[in-house]
Amino acid sequence: MERQSKALGADLVIPGLALAFAIYFFVSTADLIWEAKANGVVIGIALVVLIALQVVRAALQLKKGEGSRGFDPLWQPRDLLWKRIGLVAVTALFIATLPWLGLTLGLWLGMLAQLWIIGVRRWKTLMLLPTGTAACVYLLFIFVLDSGFPHGPIEMLLAR
Amino acid sequence: MTWQFLLDQFAAQFALWWVVWLGILLGIVVGILPGFSPQNTLIMLLPLTLAVPVDQALAFMVALYCANHLAGGVPAILMRIPGSGGAAATTLDGYPMARKGQAQQAIVLSFTASVFGGLITTLATIALLPWLSKLGLYLRSVEMVIIMLFGLTLIAVIAAKDTLKGLISGFFGLLIGVIGTDHVYSEPRATMGFLELYDGVPLVAALIGLFAVSEALVMIEEKMIVEDDARERAMQASWADTIEGLRITVEKWWHIVWTAFIGLFIGIVPGAGASIASFVAYQQSRMWSKTPELYGTGIPEGVIAPESANNGVTSGTLVPMMALGVPGGSTAAVMMIVLQYHGMVMGPRLFSTNPGLAYGVFVSMAVAYIFMIITILPLARFMARIVLIETKYLVPIILLVTIVAAFSERQYTFDMGLALLFGVIGYIAHKTNYHVTAMLVGVILGPLFEQYLVRALRISEGDLTVLFTSPVGNALWALLVFSLVVPLARSWWTNRPSRRQP
Repeated sequence: MERQSKALGADLVIPGLALAFAIYFFVSTADLIWEAKANGVVIGIALVVLIALQVVRAALQLKKGEGSRGFDPLWQPRDLLWKRIGLVAVTALFIATLPWLGLTLGLWLGMLAQLWIIGVRRWKTLMLLPTGTAACVYLLFIFVLDSGFPHGPIEMLLAR
Repeated sequence: MTWQFLLDQFAAQFALWWVVWLGILLGIVVGILPGFSPQNTLIMLLPLTLAVPVDQALAFMVALYCANHLAGGVPAILMRIPGSGGAAATTLDGYPMARKGQAQQAIVLSFTASVFGGLITTLATIALLPWLSKLGLYLRSVEMVIIMLFGLTLIAVIAAKDTLKGLISGFFGLLIGVIGTDHVYSEPRATMGFLELYDGVPLVAALIGLFAVSEALVMIEEKMIVEDDARERAMQASWADTIEGLRITVEKWWHIVWTAFIGLFIGIVPGAGASIASFVAYQQSRMWSKTPELYGTGIPEGVIAPESANNGVTSGTLVPMMALGVPGGSTAAVMMIVLQYHGMVMGPRLFSTNPGLAYGVFVSMAVAYIFMIITILPLARFMARIVLIETKYLVPIILLVTIVAAFSERQYTFDMGLALLFGVIGYIAHKTNYHVTAMLVGVILGPLFEQYLVRALRISEGDLTVLFTSPVGNALWALLVFSLVVPLARSWWTNRPSRRQP
């Protein structure tokens, strides 16, 4: 059977994040009374042991030549990397500007930008899909449920 | 309880058909949308349920609750985004079925398993209510800690193909679940200075991030959800696929029955809930199967088992509420508030003082399931078409609309950012085979685990050996070890060197 080379660097990202969080938990709760941190400490120690096992396993695989230190699975396929980063950035921007733009306008702009990033170029789709989605979301969250979303220019205009 | 009494109850519930239907329709919509929980919907509709007569309020709430459990499987099958934690196990075989062009069949199986599983356990509950209600009394904090560990370990082993990675995901989730103030001294822990985290990590944000956002980021690699070679089959799907789904349901009727009972028994345990039940049912189904290696590749049993158990939970959750006055879950708690507002006192005396209500809840549930199959089955064909929509249109809708839904639980913009953060973590987990399901269930169980562990430690004055002192608890430990060892032993037996040689 052909041996598959594993990207062990990528395999250790989640354990790395988990370890960082466990250390943060231990440090930030060091002064607390035992009962307040007992559960987290028990879980944290178990987590650290599991991470140690994973690190040992990765080191052994590296030694046997069964894997590399690479992070390839996270970037692959390369041609989609910037699209992915763009989608996350637009979503973050949508959340950050929500208090000013309001739900409806923010969603419309966000969806338009994401469709563009992902490669949609038909102007009809670029107009209709964000408008339809924003209208549905407005009707459900603002008009029917009157939930606490920040109101922007569209909501103000329609509320008159 | 006489037959005449039961028949009268059924007749009374059927007369409320319009209320039941309204609850079903709303429950389906709420269940399909990730982030909308039945308890939040019921809270929003409190002015309505408090204003109408108690029988109507009850029929509406029960129908909404059951339909919600059923509908959570739809996005789990079509987009690998469970509508709720209880549908997370459905993604394991439901989504591969959809990718193979069998989305319609998978949805039909999910509906029929949900309805018949729910119906069978509801009828069993009606017959066995006085005895079932005592089951919860045997489970104390010690047993609950073991049940939580049992659930998490099973999920970690089942969901991830690599057990170590599954356990890391699960324990990482558990530790995230510890964020917030503790139960005894209200000391904030690991909140990074955010006041929004004092109440703990919002589950809806975690669900949306780990499943919806991360899935959308992975989904852009494909043109459509359905695989290229199965596209033709998916496009030609007709009513025959619905009939095929029904045929498989009839063929696998026993599978529905026993996995539904797993849901019922786990549902009776307060707090354990659908997410554990569906995974335990999936694991048991795989363990007793003649072809366990096919699980995860898209087989009907992998959809039937979790969906049947997920709906078996619905009647189980209401048993402690009716019999002991202890709500088995958050939706049951909201229902209890409404019933108490109407002057109903839950507890053991309810069966003698108000048998109509005590049994009426479950009769109402049975009626809701009967109405549900008629309502939803014809929709399967149209729902399955989602897998044929190009992902370039689906991805922005999933990303932005689900992020908006993350706001709905607590109405904090912070939760939307948190969902995005969970999405990035979920994406990394997806790409490196750390299963997000184990992480999510860890986040869900974290606060409950702590609650029971601290209680057990308080009773034992800090002695951890208390976890091995109860007969029921020890039986659960044995079951846990058995469930872990049997698949490993089986795998070893199948792959042993003497067998591999020609």
